[in-house]
Amino acid sequence: MSEFQKTISQAVRISQSTGPVGQSVVREDAVVKATGRAVYAADITRPDMLYGKVLLSTEAHALIKNIDTSAAKNIPGVHAVLTARDIPGENVYGIAVADQQVLAEKKVRFFGEPVALVAAETPEIAEAALKEIKVAYEPLEGVFNPIDALKEGAPKVHEAGNLLLHTRVRKGDYRIGFEQADVIVENLFRTHGQDHSPLEPESGVAWFDGDGILNIYSSSQYIFRDRKQVGRVLNIPINRIHSVNTTVGGGFGRKDDVTVEILVSLLAWATQKPVKLVYTRHESMLTQTHRHPTIVRIRSGATASGKLTALEAVVYGDTGAYASLGIYVIKKMALHIGGPYYYPHYKADSFSVYTNNPIAGAFRGFGILQAATVHEVQMDELARRLGMDPIEFRLQNCLREGLTFSTGQVMDQACGIAATLEELREYVKRHGLQFKKHPEHQEVER
Amino acid sequence: MDDTNYITMELTVNGRRVSKHCRSGRRLIDFLRDDLNLMGVKEGCGEGECGSCTVLLDGKAVLSCLTPMEKAIGHEVITIEGIGSANRLHPLQEAIIEEGGIQCGFCTPGMIMSGVELLARNPHPDRAEIIAAISGNLCRCTGYQKIVRSIEQAAQKMSSS
Repeated sequence: MSEFQKTISQAVRISQSTGPVGQSVVREDAVVKATGRAVYAADITRPDMLYGKVLLSTEAHALIKNIDTSAAKNIPGVHAVLTARDIPGENVYGIAVADQQVLAEKKVRFFGEPVALVAAETPEIAEAALKEIKVAYEPLEGVFNPIDALKEGAPKVHEAGNLLLHTRVRKGDYRIGFEQADVIVENLFRTHGQDHSPLEPESGVAWFDGDGILNIYSSSQYIFRDRKQVGRVLNIPINRIHSVNTTVGGGFGRKDDVTVEILVSLLAWATQKPVKLVYTRHESMLTQTHRHPTIVRIRSGATASGKLTALEAVVYGDTGAYASLGIYVIKKMALHIGGPYYYPHYKADSFSVYTNNPIAGAFRGFGILQAATVHEVQMDELARRLGMDPIEFRLQNCLREGLTFSTGQVMDQACGIAATLEELREYVKRHGLQFKKHPEHQEVER
Repeated sequence: MDDTNYITMELTVNGRRVSKHCRSGRRLIDFLRDDLNLMGVKEGCGEGECGSCTVLLDGKAVLSCLTPMEKAIGHEVITIEGIGSANRLHPLQEAIIEEGGIQCGFCTPGMIMSGVELLARNPHPDRAEIIAAISGNLCRCTGYQKIVRSIEQAAQKMSSS
């Protein structure tokens, strides 16, 4: 046995005797990954397998007047060209709110929305067939900013209007809190969108068994929910869908909602052959979910002795053309825009808003990153205005057991922010570090 | 669609002579994955940004998504499958496993190929040289520190063995 193999078997023994907590354990799948033997969805091939491609919208907001697939269907080697009309079940999905069309039917709502599908004998033939599909669009005025989207008369992304969800969080009376404040910091923040860019683009392979069971092997974060969503669109019960999670080459929230599962299953159903669908990086960035861009107006107040008194915030989250998980991400921002600090008076409103931008959904942090950008800048600026040390100011105001969060929830366990700050203070001392002085903030439009 | 052209690919892959009659005009990654079933070669972007598809061509790290397959004719290609297997791991494979330099694993084959190339031409690289060698390989999980440490550890293993 080599030294290395001893290390590995020792690590396994340790984890079996005492459990892995507190132990440094080698990943179970590390060896297959290091040797290139781990099987990701795109690595799966089946006999007689076809290759799928998706035609993505080239308009951000437009009516579909006509889709002509005849030329594409006539290309030798093309086995199926599908549009919304060919869908056997409901043309709808969505992990939280079923508001998204699988293939655009009457109109497209963002640049990159799937419009048609192709299955062909080679990826090159599938690509050539995409170019032969003629879509006649009638462009509509679009809306690309959540504040504009809420204005009266704004172009409607969905018939029911552009507001997906308004979340109100109220605690105490913010007017009283601001009356007690000696210092008030008011800012406008804009945080940008972001692509998860998991190194593995969304991929899947699907086929029907002889006994009619649909097999889906895909790179997914949640196969059980995928199965439900596929069943609805293909009109087959979930007990006839066998969903298998392959090795996932990174997700970070991107693969929480359905990615290619429904599309590749539709092609397998239409051709009755195995079909592989792997997005290119370009397609992935256009058609998949992203981090929400947000706009936040916020006021925070504190007394001269450094006690937070009140917070008032309005959050606009751009969830793009469809909800995905945007309803919850932006809801959470209203709860967390004050951060892990105690405010006796708290008033926050968040608006999750449809626009004709790419879809925003789950992404590591789930709205908390955007909130942290805001509340930590607010805390630094308050500390600076009060002439206080930024860590001391935070320690004086952080949540502790017995205090209430923005929602009124009493912190009764696992409230580790004070211990974290104390450790940070020690770390800074131990390493002789200093906090960078922030330059004076420039005045921004209010 | 019968304007497809065919070619005979004759080259050495992972130490073996290969002669394969196949469709021409594709990328080296397509030939390696689709014709030779070497699925350890990963495609992350297809445009030379991410490094997941890195292989060695005559010992030099190249991006197989940007290399026309015909360029490999008469040459020697090494992929992750030719570096080591579960029973006979390369010191860098051991090190990256031990250091925890693998999470989702999708960048790992390309990362190892860049590291192997570095260690072959420079057995005692310093930190800056390691960072430069893997600067064309993106990783979204690890934050790179553990990968850099793996290469340092591999250099030690290789010089002491």
